[in-house]
Amino acid sequence: MITLKSKFISLSLILIMFSFSILNGMVDDWGRLSGGIENLFIFFGESLWPPDWSVLEPQNYPVCTTYPLFDFTCSTAWIGMTETIKIAFVSTIFGSIISLPISILAARNLSSLSLSYFARIVLAAARSLPSIIWAIFFVILVGFGPLSGVLAMTIYTVGYLGKLQYEAIEGMNNVPLESARSMGLSKIEIATGVVIPEMANSLISQMIFMFEYNVRHGTVIGIVGAGGIGYYINLYLKFLQYDKVISYLIIIFIVVLIIDFLSISARSYFNEEGDISKPSWWDLFIPKMKRVG
Amino acid sequence: MREDNVVAKVIGKPIVKLIDVEIGYKNGETLVKIPDLEIFPGEIVAIAGPSGVGKTTLLRTIAGLVRSISGTVEVCGRVVPHRPKRGKLGYIPQKLGLVRHASVMHNVMLGANAGQKKEIIHRNKYIQMFSNSVLSLFPSTKAKRKSRDAIEKMRLTDKIGEPIRRLSGGQQRRVATARTLAQEPALILADEFLSELDDETMETVLRGVVTYVKNNNAALLVVEHDVSRAKSMADRLLVIDDGRINPFITEVTMLEVKV
Repeated sequence: MITLKSKFISLSLILIMFSFSILNGMVDDWGRLSGGIENLFIFFGESLWPPDWSVLEPQNYPVCTTYPLFDFTCSTAWIGMTETIKIAFVSTIFGSIISLPISILAARNLSSLSLSYFARIVLAAARSLPSIIWAIFFVILVGFGPLSGVLAMTIYTVGYLGKLQYEAIEGMNNVPLESARSMGLSKIEIATGVVIPEMANSLISQMIFMFEYNVRHGTVIGIVGAGGIGYYINLYLKFLQYDKVISYLIIIFIVVLIIDFLSISARSYFNEEGDISKPSWWDLFIPKMKRVG
Repeated sequence: MREDNVVAKVIGKPIVKLIDVEIGYKNGETLVKIPDLEIFPGEIVAIAGPSGVGKTTLLRTIAGLVRSISGTVEVCGRVVPHRPKRGKLGYIPQKLGLVRHASVMHNVMLGANAGQKKEIIHRNKYIQMFSNSVLSLFPSTKAKRKSRDAIEKMRLTDKIGEPIRRLSGGQQRRVATARTLAQEPALILADEFLSELDDETMETVLRGVVTYVKNNNAALLVVEHDVSRAKSMADRLLVIDDGRINPFITEVTMLEVKV
């Protein structure tokens, strides 16, 4: 008898073998792999390590206009990273404001078939290009700088967040909608009075997730000149100063880790259901220790 | 009270009128057949019967949420699929349909808003619809007062700002009733709205609804699986049995209502 487990194992084996055969068709020389590992050690030992932390020191350019409290706030790493976070923040806020009405139109349980397809096409179009392609597009339109970054990320946020939102709205409990509809409330009233309050927690949680996502992707869009820390990474890559690049990457890694952690804690604050008591805001930063004994 | 009813039946137009209605599933399987049913203003009608015979589906059909297989369903002077005028129909589903993350006041205000008359009239239907929707986002003081009254009637004044998810089952049921009372509908459809209530709460809810129905010449159609309770509150009891509705009038043993 063929058990479910053996079916699962054989299917996995088939998939893995199939993937290898496809890969084999694309790769002409497997010998390159051995050279790759050697190159990695040479590259890492000679060029990347140790990181050049001069990126945390104040530079002549960009010029520091204010008198900062700490010196490193005049460094390129600080300026680039804060710009990335600012771009991510602004585009998350604008993106979610624009995407909410579109996602309400796109949800099948709230609007007609034709309207929802139209809204879905709009969202899919915004989502179909990654934010870096949108960034290239807006750099051509409005020039280098954070403005094109904000525009690019806002459009991507509308597409991505809109999909998350309309799927959440479609999954909501149908009974409040039915009773509101039978009362004769208009669609705008149902959206503002029933759907948004009922879904508020998951909408906020998705917004925080989107901010975290935008910070991660905001580091990339600078490479095409749309502002943020990516601009400096691209600059030093061109000058082959890999030791500076690695220090930027370490900084990005740490910042993204912190934002991830804050985002998870903040989202758990909004995911609470029923009688579970809310954590205080302080607990988000310093988690409660388990009591011993 | 009985006398009033008879008069109302003679002079009033029926609020609900069902002619040769068949209710069932989409595949054509019939659950209930109703040859003729009329519900008049000021009347309380209860539907009883074992579970699964289609009591709730009948209620949802009248509420316009599901279509009947055949026949004519007329509610508040409009034939389904045309909906009754805004706020004419109040529906208390079995699962209540409250906005769980919003406050008691917010939920009751939804009903009061639905009961508000639309004020902007424009020759373009869409402009009228849109402007009235926008207008309804700003509730009038009258709607607020109505909501407060309804909340007070259901003895929930101390819970007015609490989110629904923090309330007990019985309190939530009272909020749903308050929402319908604030709406001031011509027809109330209630699905097992007295279940899981203690005696005192049940009396509060029932008195609130019955007083409203009798004072405002509204109609109440209530689904109740408990036949004795259905008999005790209704002017008429309809029993669904073997897929047919058997209307028979019971002796009226109304709850003592202080008006």
